[in-house]
Amino acid sequence: MAIKIAYYAGNTARAASSEVEDCIQPLCKTLGIDLIELPKASSDGGNIIKQSSPKLQHALVARNLALAESKGLDVLTTCATSHGIMCDTIEEFREDLSFANHVNNIVARTSSVEYMGESQSRHLLHFLVEEIGLDKIRDAVINPLRLNIAAYYGPNMQRQGACGEDDPFMPTYMEQLITALGGTPVEYDSKCQSVGAPALLTINKPVMRMTAAVLSDAKSNGADLLVSACTISHSNLDSYQSKAGKVARKNTAMPILHLAELVAFALGHYPERFAQLRTRALVIGG
Amino acid sequence: MFLITEDSSQILAAVRTDGLFDRNVGGATMSGSTGADYGEMILEAAEACPVEIIKFELQGDGASEAVTEAAPAAVVAAVTPAATAVVATGGSEALQALLGGDRSLAILFGSQTGNAAGLAEKTAKLAANYGLIPTVYDMDGFDPATLASHKRTLIITSTWGEGEMPDNAETLWQSVNTQSPSLSGVSFSICAIGDTSYDEYCKAGTDWDEKYVALGANRVHAIQLCNVDFDTPWSQWVAEALPMIACVDDSGTLQEVLLEEMKEYGSGSGEEVSSGDFSPASIVQSELSITLSLFRYCPAAADTGWDTIACAIPGHATVEDLLVAVQHDVDGSLAFRRGNGNGSPTSGLRVNGRIVLADLIQISDLVSDGGVLKIEPLPGYPVIRDLIVDYSSFETQRSSAKPWMRADPRDGHTLLSGSAMGTMDLSTAATLHAMTDVVSYQLLQSMSDTFAYDSDYKGPGILLQQWTRSIDPRTGDAQQKELFDSIGSEHGVWSEADFSSVARYGSDGRTASKALNTARGKLLNSTNYSGPHGRLVKWYGRSVKWSGNVNETTLYRQVLGPIGLLNNIFDGVSARMVLGFTRTGAPPFRSLQALLAPPAGIGKIPKMVNSKVSAHHEVVNLFNEIDQRF
Repeated sequence: MAIKIAYYAGNTARAASSEVEDCIQPLCKTLGIDLIELPKASSDGGNIIKQSSPKLQHALVARNLALAESKGLDVLTTCATSHGIMCDTIEEFREDLSFANHVNNIVARTSSVEYMGESQSRHLLHFLVEEIGLDKIRDAVINPLRLNIAAYYGPNMQRQGACGEDDPFMPTYMEQLITALGGTPVEYDSKCQSVGAPALLTINKPVMRMTAAVLSDAKSNGADLLVSACTISHSNLDSYQSKAGKVARKNTAMPILHLAELVAFALGHYPERFAQLRTRALVIGG
Repeated sequence: MFLITEDSSQILAAVRTDGLFDRNVGGATMSGSTGADYGEMILEAAEACPVEIIKFELQGDGASEAVTEAAPAAVVAAVTPAATAVVATGGSEALQALLGGDRSLAILFGSQTGNAAGLAEKTAKLAANYGLIPTVYDMDGFDPATLASHKRTLIITSTWGEGEMPDNAETLWQSVNTQSPSLSGVSFSICAIGDTSYDEYCKAGTDWDEKYVALGANRVHAIQLCNVDFDTPWSQWVAEALPMIACVDDSGTLQEVLLEEMKEYGSGSGEEVSSGDFSPASIVQSELSITLSLFRYCPAAADTGWDTIACAIPGHATVEDLLVAVQHDVDGSLAFRRGNGNGSPTSGLRVNGRIVLADLIQISDLVSDGGVLKIEPLPGYPVIRDLIVDYSSFETQRSSAKPWMRADPRDGHTLLSGSAMGTMDLSTAATLHAMTDVVSYQLLQSMSDTFAYDSDYKGPGILLQQWTRSIDPRTGDAQQKELFDSIGSEHGVWSEADFSSVARYGSDGRTASKALNTARGKLLNSTNYSGPHGRLVKWYGRSVKWSGNVNETTLYRQVLGPIGLLNNIFDGVSARMVLGFTRTGAPPFRSLQALLAPPAGIGKIPKMVNSKVSAHHEVVNLFNEIDQRF
């Protein structure tokens, strides 16, 4: 029987990172996950709106969570930043009931829903490891990855209460998943380090240096490619990698893909894309 | 009028008729109308003072014949007993009655070199365990007439020379011998320090012991004679004398039947004393067998590497304990910064990815049995050797940031001197205190992932200090403006690329990131959302309001502008978007869009125009209700 969960695509999966959207649907179908759409859900503010108005961002998030809660479901997202943002609001509401009531009143007035703290956020990674189970995933593998893969977690979901039972500072979930998918995980130090995604458009050199540090660390430890749990950080790591390499004078050339793509490929979806990826990783190298 | 130091108080010559500048033991009158003019103020100050430093007396008609006598800092300290905070619920009714009455205890010391004074302080701290309220008195300047009023008295004194009183006790000794006050009703015990190599061993102590008995006092515990190694005999004395004297009731009667109960109460072993017993529990954890991976750096050889050491260590040991053991047993050259055992701000390290204080964090909080403990220097700072980092950049930044209170003209009350003293209400004080309640600003710097990649960035540790000072209502306008400008400057709060890297480090990180996010909000308002940061927030909000989803094309165009877009072409970003990046999905048409309309998006080519989410009006209403600036 399929496990039902509400799906929140985040800010970019249905925009710049459309390949994530391409992959999440078939992979969930294969693993018996029934994604329930939330057509009314809006952007969560991306920690950008929060800089001007934390209350507005919390209200946007609370509304999304309330929409899932009204269906009796938790929320699944593929983006580490979106997951971190939802966990922030959940924590804020738990700690400050009067603030929660105040925001809820506004959400109720404008959207006729309220977030009562029942619906929780789940990142795809944690959901796969904790709810679906690595054994089931291993059994479903059709195209084993057979690549040296570095996992990038980023800082947004690597904190207490936001990363399931995984260690916030030395996580291993993605490495376990890579192993289950037939790949070889590559250990490197900076897998939880920020690449400065929120400041990609506003701070140039430091963000490029941060991006280059993660890429070169993964590469120097033998990674053929890097898989990201965050759709927003994906832009820094991918489109900006050559610029990052120039700024930091480091070798950063490496294929980047999102966790949803990696799992989908191993489960047999988009074999032509997977073949293209293997060529890039093993032949072209960047 | 007075010059008060830690151990004396003197009256200035200008306000005395004798023109001298000393403690005025002789009681010279005050000059002119000083006494009359300032008498009330002096009395008020003396009453408010927790220690009895100044004696002030009006004589005759009280107009101008004021006499002051400045005693030295006769009272060193008053220690509030922990046990009085919450009275133990255990024990008999008799004990409860005893504890509920007057619990004052006088501890007098006669000290030449400070040893007796030190023991008096330590005795006072222990006395609190027995529900006593101790006050330590220097015998110098002590009024002999008040000896009888101290129903419980402990004397700790050394002996000077050939059986003489220490200098600070001589006057009191002479006075007592001269005046022979009745000490009936006084209970006492003596701890005497001496040196057996002298003939008159501990004579000062035995003199006081005999004198007190002679004057009618009740010796509740025998005199303890201590040789130069006085710690052990003093401990024995204090363990017996304190519970005994604690059994003296209001009327001065020794309730010896309560002695055992009092000892139990003082040791904190009573069944129901937990709420009043603040002694920390001793938590012992089982031994862990771990593999220690230790960062090493030798500056002379410019060589870095990792030591791997198999260790067995109790789980309750701190990281610092472990490093001390390694230094002692394995490699004496290991360099690390030792803390004070209670969370030293500069003892920071990165251990298993966590930013921690080495002298506070326990091994069991970081690793389980059989695991690996990876210890590295604090990130973001230059490494001097092994685990020691150079904090001078932090100190330099702090020095130029000037986050301390400066005495600008400001609103608020004024002091007698006329200088302003700002005020703050309780709620603001609590908020500010919560904001600054971080264990180490040096550690806070390291929590930022940006800090290590931008050497000019002030860092969250400095910015938090500046922000809290700038919103402190006691801070003057000029300083507030200066701090606020600094926070918003080129290397200020906008230089932090990602506050989520700070927020993930527990409550300190979360507190700092929230506070600095508020600072950003204030800056946005003050600059009317100008500059790249302002435009990013403004257009992000607007695009969400317009459709319910963010439109990256809009952001790209509005934030970067034409020059930024051109730069992306030259830097190869656009090329990678179109041709080179890891495109495994999305229709190729999107790539062509980038050629036709260069401001096409960030990363993989997004939609040019967003479709609206269902019930989009609800999102608009939410914006309108909360923040109409977008």
